[in-house]
This record gives sequence, C-alpha cells and structure tokens, in this order.
Amino acid sequence: MPTKSIRVPAEEQFADELERLRAADEQAAAAIPPGWQLSPRGVRAFVIGEPKLQVSRKFYGDDPLVDRAIVTLLGKQGLMLVGEPGTAKSMLSELLAAAISGNSNLVVQGTAGTTEDHIRYSWNYALLLAEGPSRRSLVPSPIFQAMESGKLARVEEITRAAPEIQDTMVSLMSEKQLMVPELGADARVSAREGFNIIATANIRDRGVNEMSAALKRRFNFELVKPIADREFEIELISRQLDAELGAERQNVTVERPVLELLVTAFRDLRLGETAEGTAIKRPEAVMSTAEAVNVAFAAALEARYLGDGTLSAAHVAHQIVGAALKDNAEDAARFRYYIDTVVRERGRRDREWKDFQNAAAAIWR
Amino acid sequence: MSAVAAVALPQRFLSARALRERLAARGIWFAPIRHHSPACAKATKAMIAALEPAAVLIEAPAEYDELLPALTAPATTPPVAILALRKTEAGTLSSFFPLADFSPEWVALREAAARGIKTAFIDRSWIGLGAAAETSELAEERYYAQSQALTQLAHLEHCRDHDELWEHLFELRETDWQTHCDDAFAWSALARLDYETEVLLTEGSIPREAVMVDHIAKWQADTSRPLVVVTGAFHTLGLVEALGVKLFGEKIPEAEPILKHKIPNPEKADSWLIRYDLTRLNALTGYGAGIRSPGYYQRRWDVAASPKELVLNSLADIAKLTNAANTSEIISTAAVIEAALQAHRLAELRGHSFPGRTDLLDACSSCFASGELNPAIRDAIGEVFGGTKLGVLPEGTPAPPIVAEARVLAEKLRLNVSDSSRRNTTIDVRRSASGRRRSRFLWLMSFLDVGFARFIAGPDYISGRNLGRINEQWEYAWTPMVEAQLIALTTQGATLPEVARARLRASAPEPDSRSCGAVAAIIAQAALIGLSDEMTHAMIRLDQMITADVDLGSVVTTAEKLFGLWHSRDLLDIAEPQRLLRLISRVLPQVGYLLDKTADVKAEDEPAVVAACIAAHALIKDCENVASSQAELDAAADFMSTASVTAAFARLPERSDVSPGVLGAVLALGVVNSQIADELLSEKVAAIFAPGADVSYSLRFLDGLMQAAPDLFLHTPELFDAVNQAIAKLEPDAFLNFLPELRRSFGRLRPVETAKVAERIALHTGVASADIAASNLMLTAADLAAGVRLEQALRGGLIADGLDAWVEVSNE
Repeated sequence: MPTKSIRVPAEEQFADELERLRAADEQAAAAIPPGWQLSPRGVRAFVIGEPKLQVSRKFYGDDPLVDRAIVTLLGKQGLMLVGEPGTAKSMLSELLAAAISGNSNLVVQGTAGTTEDHIRYSWNYALLLAEGPSRRSLVPSPIFQAMESGKLARVEEITRAAPEIQDTMVSLMSEKQLMVPELGADARVSAREGFNIIATANIRDRGVNEMSAALKRRFNFELVKPIADREFEIELISRQLDAELGAERQNVTVERPVLELLVTAFRDLRLGETAEGTAIKRPEAVMSTAEAVNVAFAAALEARYLGDGTLSAAHVAHQIVGAALKDNAEDAARFRYYIDTVVRERGRRDREWKDFQNAAAAIWR
Repeated sequence: MSAVAAVALPQRFLSARALRERLAARGIWFAPIRHHSPACAKATKAMIAALEPAAVLIEAPAEYDELLPALTAPATTPPVAILALRKTEAGTLSSFFPLADFSPEWVALREAAARGIKTAFIDRSWIGLGAAAETSELAEERYYAQSQALTQLAHLEHCRDHDELWEHLFELRETDWQTHCDDAFAWSALARLDYETEVLLTEGSIPREAVMVDHIAKWQADTSRPLVVVTGAFHTLGLVEALGVKLFGEKIPEAEPILKHKIPNPEKADSWLIRYDLTRLNALTGYGAGIRSPGYYQRRWDVAASPKELVLNSLADIAKLTNAANTSEIISTAAVIEAALQAHRLAELRGHSFPGRTDLLDACSSCFASGELNPAIRDAIGEVFGGTKLGVLPEGTPAPPIVAEARVLAEKLRLNVSDSSRRNTTIDVRRSASGRRRSRFLWLMSFLDVGFARFIAGPDYISGRNLGRINEQWEYAWTPMVEAQLIALTTQGATLPEVARARLRASAPEPDSRSCGAVAAIIAQAALIGLSDEMTHAMIRLDQMITADVDLGSVVTTAEKLFGLWHSRDLLDIAEPQRLLRLISRVLPQVGYLLDKTADVKAEDEPAVVAACIAAHALIKDCENVASSQAELDAAADFMSTASVTAAFARLPERSDVSPGVLGAVLALGVVNSQIADELLSEKVAAIFAPGADVSYSLRFLDGLMQAAPDLFLHTPELFDAVNQAIAKLEPDAFLNFLPELRRSFGRLRPVETAKVAERIALHTGVASADIAASNLMLTAADLAAGVRLEQALRGGLIADGLDAWVEVSNE
C-alpha cells in the first residue's frame, strides 16, 4: 500500500478553511485585490485564525507583523522575512502564498548552487536541439511561472545564494518583467497582477552572503521574533507535537511538567539567562521553538518505541543532544555548564529536573 | 459596542449602565474620558454643545478654580499645566496637571467658556492624600495597564496592549458622542471591576470619588438644568453607583465605601499655570502623566480634516530628520511614498477610519528598516511622534515672578527661549561685556541647578582649571521643567539674585568652621554668577577666619583661589580687585605661621604637607610677580609681603624637630630657587645618610626631596652616592621592607631621568649599562656581524645607485 506523502502544501492541508473564507468574502462582498484569491482580511483570518469560521490559528505571537506582511504584498515592494532560524518564517511565507495565490509551491531554494536559471528560465535541451528556442522548449523558473500567472513566488534562504544571483532579482522586481531574448527581440513575460515575491533570510546567515543595497530597497523587511510568552510556547509545542504525532499520539503519554521542562531549558539556553535571571552560557546552536518541537517529537517516539510509552525528562535529555546541540564542542561545554549549575540546582527540588540531570550527565561525561 | 460587547459584561456593570441613564434623565450627564484622548475631547465637546448644560464639572482639585481665568484666557495655548506645590517633611513636592490641545478637560473648559457656561473643578485637593499619592491621571493609567479584562480584550482584537486597543476602539472610529461615551464607560468599567475596594481605598480613588460625589450632588440640588461631569472614565462607575444610592435610594453595597468616606475640609496647595511641552507629555519619557506619541496626536488634531496630509507630513519629517543625522541610513522619497501607502493599507485592513499611531509606526518599521530599526531612524521617529510643541501663556499670567525674570533676562541676553529645544552657545568672555553678562547669567542658572544651562568646556574659575582657554561653551534649553524648577525655588526667594544669595549662604560653611578653602570657593562662585555683594560678604568672613584655619593645605589653596580670581578679574568684571590682593596679603602670614608649625608631621601625612609646602613656595613667586607689577597701587609696607613665608622656609632646615620629608622638600625647593647653597644640601645629605643613620628617616627625607624636585637626585652627586651606598648596605630583608617607599620616591622621576639613574648605577657597580637595561635583547656577536654586513650592503647599494648624499646624511 502506498504511504501518504509526508507533507502536503498548506493550500491542500487547509483547503476547507480557504473555501470557507472565500465564501465569507463573497457573502460580505469584500473587495479582493486583483490577482488575489481572498480579501486581505480573509488572508489575515487564514493566518491568525477566525473562530467564527472555524479557521485555525497557524502563526502565533505577532499579529501586527502579519498585518504588515499582508499589506506589503498589496504593494510593489517584495516581502523579506528575516529572523533567527526556526521562527516559522518559511511557514508564514507558505501560508501567505497559499491564502493569497492558492499556490505555495512556486519556490526557489537559495543555496550556494542556485544559478540564474533557477530565477529566470532554462531549457529542455532535447527540445532546444530539436526545435530551436521556443516557448515549448523553455523551462520556466518558479518566478517566471508566478509572473505569468500573477501569483506569489517564494525565495527561501535568499542570503545563501551568491550575490550576483540575488541581484538577478533586482531588475525583475523593479520592472516586473523578464526578457527572453532567445525567443525574439521583443519576447518577454510581463508580470500579471497578483505577482510578488516573499523571501526569507536567516539573521545568522548574514555572514554567508550580504544582500546588495539595490536588492534590499526592493523589499520591505519584517523581523520575525521568537515567541516571547513561555506559557504560550508550552501550549504551542504541545499542539504541534499532537499534530506531528498524528495517530501515534494515543500511544504516548505526554505530561505537562515534561513539556514545561523542555520549554524552560530551551528558553534558558536561547536567551542565555534563566527565568530567575541568572546569566548562563548561551550555546551557538539554534534553540528555537521549531527545534523544541523536533526534540519533543523525537523524544516522544523514543518513549513510544524504546520506552514505556510515557514521555520523560530523560527522553528529552537524550534527544536534546542530537536534535539541538549538533556537534559543536564549545556548545557541549556550555550545555554541561548548564547541567552542572542550573539543572543540578533545580534537580534538588524537582523530580523531572533530577531525571533530566541524570540522563544528561550520563551522556555528557 | 461591537468590541467591548464581545466579552461577557457582568451584571454589576449592566445595572450601573441603567443607573447612568436614569441619572442623565435627572440632568447629570457623565463624560467618561481617558486623559489626553482626542476622541474623548471631541465627544465631550459635542456633548456640551448638545446639552447646553448649567455647568461643566471637571475632575481636578477644586482649588484650581482660581486659575480658571488664566485657563480660559484666549491667548493661553496648550500644552500648559497646572503646577501645585506642597511642602512636606521630605521637601517640596510638586504635581502637574497637564493639558494639551486635545485633552478633553481643556476642550471642555474652552467650549464651556465659549458658550458662557460655568465651569468648576470638583476633585479633592492633592494635599490631603498621602505623601506617596499619585495624580489621579497616573493612577488611572496604571489601572488600565494592569487590567486583566483589557489585556484579554486586546488579545481578542489582535492588539499588542491596552493602549493599542484604546486607539483601535476609540480613536480610529467615527461615532456620535453618545455611542462614544457608552463605549468608554464600558471600557473603563471592565478595568474597574478588576480591582477590589481595599485597593481603590488605599490608592486614593475612593477618597477622591467621595469628594466628587459631594460636589456633584450640591450642584445638582442647585439647578434644574443639565450638568456635564467630565471625569476619568475609571471613576464613572463609582460615581454613578454612589449617586444612585444618594439620589434614588438604590441599594448598592459596592457604593458604601464612597458614601461613608469622610469629606475633608477644603485644603489648598499653591498652584500656578505654567507652560508645558509635548516632550514631557510623552508617557514614554518617564515623567509619569501623559500619553504615548503626543506629537502624533498633536499633528492629528492640527490637520483633523486631512489624514493624507498627516501621514505624508509625519513620514516626510521622519525621513528629513533621519537624513539630516548624516548616518549611512538614508530614507528615499520612494520609501516615504511606500510607507504612506503601507500606512493607509494597514488602516484599511484593520478597519480604521484613517491611519493611526500604530499603523504609521508599523509602516515605518516595514519600509524604513532592514530588520531592526537603525538608531538614527528610531530617534527621528521618537522626535516626530514625541513632538516638541511648547505652550504659550498670555502676558501677565500670574506665573511666579521668578520665571518671567529669568526669561526676560535670557531674552535680553539673546538666548533663544522660544521653544524647548536644546541649543549650544559659545561665548568669548574676553571680547565683549555682553558676552560676559551672558556668561554670568548662564553660570547663575547653572548654579541654581534648574536644568537650564550646562557648562561644556572652557575656563573653570572655581577649580582654576583651563584658565588659558578663551571660549566658554554652553548648552541650554528652556523647558517646562526649568520653569517648574524656578517656581519651586520661590520658596528661597522672590528673585534670581535673592535665591542665589540664599543658596550661596546655605552652602557656606558653618559659623564655627575653620575652613578658609570652603569660603574661598564661595567667593569664587559669587564672582562667577555676578553677585558682588555676596562676594564682599564672603571676603569679610574669610578675613575674619584666616587666623583660625590651622590647615596649611586649606590656607594655601585659599590663596591660590584668590590669585585665580585676581588673574581673571577683568573677565569676571570683579569690582575693586585690589581687595583680593589685600586679602592675599592677609593670608600670607598665616602661611608662614603654619609652615613653622608643620615641623613634626606623621609619616603618613607627610606627602600632603609636602604638597602644601610646594604650593606655598609657588605662592611666593606669584606674589612677587603681582607685587612688582602693582607696586604703584599700594605703598603700604606690608602689601603682598612674602617675608613671613620666606623666613619660615629659611628657618625650617635649621630646626632639629622638623620632619624629614618636609626637610627634604624645603631643602630641595631652596636649592632649586638658589635660596639655599648646594653645600648645605650636601652637608645635610651626608649627615642623614651617614653610617648608622635610621634608614626610614633617610628615606622619608629622600621622598620629600623627590616630591619637590626629583631632578636634584641626578644633579647632586653627593646625594646620589649617599643614597646608593645606603641602599647597598641594607640587609636583604630590610631592603624588601623599604622597597615600597623607595618605589614611590623613584616613581617621581620621569622615564628619561630613570634611565639616566640606571646608567649611573651601572657605571658605579661596574656592570655594562646594556646588561641592566630593560630593553636588553640578548644580541650575540653573530647578530652584530650580520648587522654590520647588512649595513655595508645597504651602503654599497645606495652608493651604487648614486645616492651618496643619503649615506653622508645618515653619517651625521
């Protein structure tokens, strides 16, 4: 039996919600910007939830940021989401594309290997040799397709691409058209209404490739911050864990104190300061909410398949090593310091922390 | 209302709402306001216009009624504030009641005045409340900020906090005054219900409301026409309930504390109407009372009809300020246009009738920043949203006279006090009398510590530093705080000189003090701020106490200060400068006297006494110079006579009880100034360092000498040899014991001198000086040979290139 795909795009996953929002727009005769599938308020409701229409909240923590992002996409400027890794930038970009264009798949992934072809177009060489340059032999890039169809294109991790490749986008964004000289002197694709670009960039990647001022000018920047509220982060991780585990959820017992411990440890290490205000050594590793979900997920699976089915602080300790701290020797020392000071102190009063300490100490000696 | 109704409204509120309608039917109309809310201001104005009431009652201490004429005078332009002062054991406390163009209380006052309607303040005097009592406005804002119900509602409405919620619900909606008042009542009642009676009682809300209820009931009994009651919305629920009990005999247990609270006898704080500014009205600057972004609301109030203009002007001003800051950050016109569009679109998305504060700020954040906001942009936004407008009071407002005096004086001296901006001025006091007057005034204001003037650089006559500088540099700003501080000073005197005099005298040392130095500082301060009568006063006092001061250091410093003033006499416009010289003449004998008494000094006091001796010696020279140039001024025999000092110096080496450090210093000073023969020094050195001498005594002598004239050590071979031998003879343990003193003494040499000493020592001990040099690099003969070879090769190369001249030059 073929298994399900691991991941479906947002527009498929939430197709029913999108449909309800579309119906609500129609009913209210809401003004829909040209090229958009929903009204701006419908888009907002899709991202931050609308209980009345049974639309779930998908992005947490900063509603005004969502407003600004939507409004930016209404204009000529592109939208640049920057922030620490794991702050749900890509998710926000996907949700916006799904709600605005009904298609979140027009994605260019920025890497060191990204070439101009990925941004503009390339050729089907067999057809090119057989027929010469023609629309049929041209392989359009996601951005090309987005321009042609008046949709949003997404550029992920833009600062990982080389500067000259990034700069290919400058003229494309300011002129909103793409010349295709191979098809004739006047051949070009003009962007239809609804076209725009959402790019994401990690703050920690700033050193990889700095963006040119010309490109920066074409974007409005939005800084996506980690979730500030502890209680809320616990709730969110709990919910995301449920979603990730899916059917497996019923086979694992997850108690709140363990999730609290996980979130507290992540927050301590992320901020370099404990909840009580003690300064600790801050690891280089990304201690984002998304990473915390990964750790919780891995720990839950460990509990399910290798343990007694109850997620414990020891499972969390095992998984933090691989999932969050990777292989940085300096980070190992920082984490050990954290175990020896903060965790040890808490372990005196709290059983969960004691478990966590014992399990962590066994690994980190 | 749509949003507030979204949360379940409790029964107590619903009953109060019904009661409020019954009170309106009886003629008592509440305008529940949030302080400095333009929306409330508009609604209040509309309410007054619609009802044409018999009176408008406003929540402010009843004693402010006296200021109503000034408040309603046509020329009075906000921001203004009522300043109240009260004296407590902790000093004078002040309280501000600020009013902006868009403050509902202000609008109510003016609207009532325009329609010939009576106005009255109905709140309890601030005096009667505890020492820690906040103003009503501050307390109310805190209640809102901490309200659970409002936080929840903000969350539901996707707002960041209660402030954004308020703007979203009230400032950016167009409604009639009735709806607005209903909603504001509900909004504040939600917050009010979060607090318990005990809290409201101890924090002053209930005591205030008791007084307000009393006033309202009295007014109601006197008229059959409507009354408009303008109070903080937070109080409306309490007032409505209490009046319901009082007028309709309702049974409301929650109203009991208000009704049972004893009404105090009227109390009175001294109060004035003063100019205020938007900077201080900005809640973010930490002055307490106020709102966020008053600059934005001022702009909005001014261009009420044109939101487009408001948005574009604000953004263009931010860009202008940012670009003028000359950082790498430049905001282009395109970015301004983009931001304006962004603000309008955000407003539309959020359902605002036009771009609000947060819409504009969000637009700036989207369009002017790449990630975090750059500091230059942040400052520019702060300035535009904060605002700088300064209020105007009509001529003749009974402001405390001292304010007008300072202002007029500042204006006369061409200092710009038309707004509260910070300005710099540079004064060349040598050039003109007007410059000197300016300097006097700025020194006076800085002495009064009212936050007007700050001395940045230039000659400092009090410490005597930088007297060679020509220009004085000042920074000044006429802020409302300056006015408030000046008003606060009126407790010390009615005019600037009076206050300055009082403060100078207050800072004078106690009558039984013997410190001349402190009095000399007052003379200098008085001279600096141009109080010549005070200067005379202090000089007389100094004259009387000179003989009582037994501290050589203090007396010598006094003489130095007086000399400093003498040298600056023209710049400070000192009247009768010769009096300074006469006073110095009086100080000199005391110096001589004290020098005689400094014979026996403890080792630990020695450096300070030696320093005083050195200063006293310098004084002799100063006096001689001045006396010769001023000889014609005074023929009196004792004028500026340094004889007593010189004699004391001459006596010291002869005495057996003189302490060794002082002896060393005095001998050194004498030799350096050719007053003592070199032989005497050699003789003393021989004795002091003779075999069997007490080494600690010898080393104190050495230290005194080194402090006074370190180079003598190099130029007096006897001294050098004696010290060298004495150290050589020390046992290792003893040497270690004395090492700290030796270090201190030799530390007084300059590096070049130290190197010379080292060389000399090397010579004496037969060690190659290179061996003991700190820069010994341990070079070998092979290194030398390599160096020679390299040099020869270079020379050869240069000559071969025809650059013989270079080689010759280097030979020189």
